[in-house]
Amino acid sequence: MQIRRKATAGTSQSSDLMVVVEPSDTLSIEIESTVKKQYEHLIRARIQEPLARLGVTAARIRVNDRGALDYAIDARVEAALRRAAEE
Amino acid sequence: MMGAVPLLSEHDRLEARALIESEGLRFETDADDMVGLYEGERLVGTGSRAGYVLKMLVIAPSQQGGEALGELVTLLMQRGMDAGHETFFVYTRPDNVTTFERLNFRLLVTHSMAALLEIGPGIREYLDTHRALMRPGRNGAIVVNGNPFTLGHLHLAETAARRVEHLYLFVVREDRSVFPFSARFRLAQEVTAHLPNVSVLETSRYAVSAGTFPSYFLKRLDDAALAQMQLDVRLFGSLLAPPFSVRVRFVGDEPYCATTAAYNRTMEEVLGEYGIEWTQIPRLAHGGAAISASRVRDFLGRGDLDRVASWVPPATMAFLRSPAGESVIRRLAGAGEGR
Repeated sequence: MQIRRKATAGTSQSSDLMVVVEPSDTLSIEIESTVKKQYEHLIRARIQEPLARLGVTAARIRVNDRGALDYAIDARVEAALRRAAEE
Repeated sequence: MMGAVPLLSEHDRLEARALIESEGLRFETDADDMVGLYEGERLVGTGSRAGYVLKMLVIAPSQQGGEALGELVTLLMQRGMDAGHETFFVYTRPDNVTTFERLNFRLLVTHSMAALLEIGPGIREYLDTHRALMRPGRNGAIVVNGNPFTLGHLHLAETAARRVEHLYLFVVREDRSVFPFSARFRLAQEVTAHLPNVSVLETSRYAVSAGTFPSYFLKRLDDAALAQMQLDVRLFGSLLAPPFSVRVRFVGDEPYCATTAAYNRTMEEVLGEYGIEWTQIPRLAHGGAAISASRVRDFLGRGDLDRVASWVPPATMAFLRSPAGESVIRRLAGAGEGR
């Protein structure tokens, strides 16, 4: 999947996350989270699943997390990626 | 409670104004966007965005402690990103800092009267972008608007550059002056190109900006302006100066502008707390008068290019004779003043 434009998904609500995806030559993931200290590695791993599933290898992904559960992370990231790919 | 919605009609905005003023905040008219939160027909929360600054965030007492703030900030950020912004500032009371930190804002600076936080790539990205310029040593810094760059700025840069290992010349990024940022930045680079230990870089949002010090652009000197100066100088001392190893901040003395003179005094009072020296350098005078960019703009407004030519370096003069420069002169001759 090719990232063609900037797109967002999600909210800054508690138990949710806001995802910003934009085109880039490389793949980078930046995470801000209220539970960053404990869970950054798990959030990162979770973000990588939709990336792998959709075959995204180049994008800048910024995540602003407020303690979202796994399936919320997956769904928000996929939504942002699909919007950014203009599907 | 429904989700936050944009406030588009005059009626909605008047209702928001009443809510803002009922909480003792000043209603400001420069908002690019306003959003609100309703319970039934009643407005129970509102927030605004001016450029990249989120402001006038107010939540009715009945809704505080819940998700109202997250709703307002989400919508303001989504709409702000659509408008091309990535990093957002919020200026608030120190006792609200943890409330915004729970939304993942990061605290930039706080003091007794106010606090400044941001969300987005922000200062980290700014510092990453400029990492190649960072040098160890006893370095100095000057922050100039350069509106336009004069022989006075050059004198300040040359004098300062002799006293430190490396000098960082920060050019105000905010595009609120009559000379556009692109021209101010390029002239600062060209005019100081002969100084081997000087680097020119932009301040982004982090010095004399709409986020740190909006009153600078309004020439307004009141309590709000003094609080902003404190934040601006403390932000410089705590976040901008250390990565560039800045030990001295240089300023020109300020005989004309009360706001800039007060800003200089704030630096003098505050920078010592951060281990930074403050050095004021007397202005270069020509024909018995201290050279100043604001006087240069006056001359330009009156069409007195001969006076200007003796106060600015050749690169600035060349710009003034270009089509872009001529359009600046026309604006100065017309409506009048822009800092």
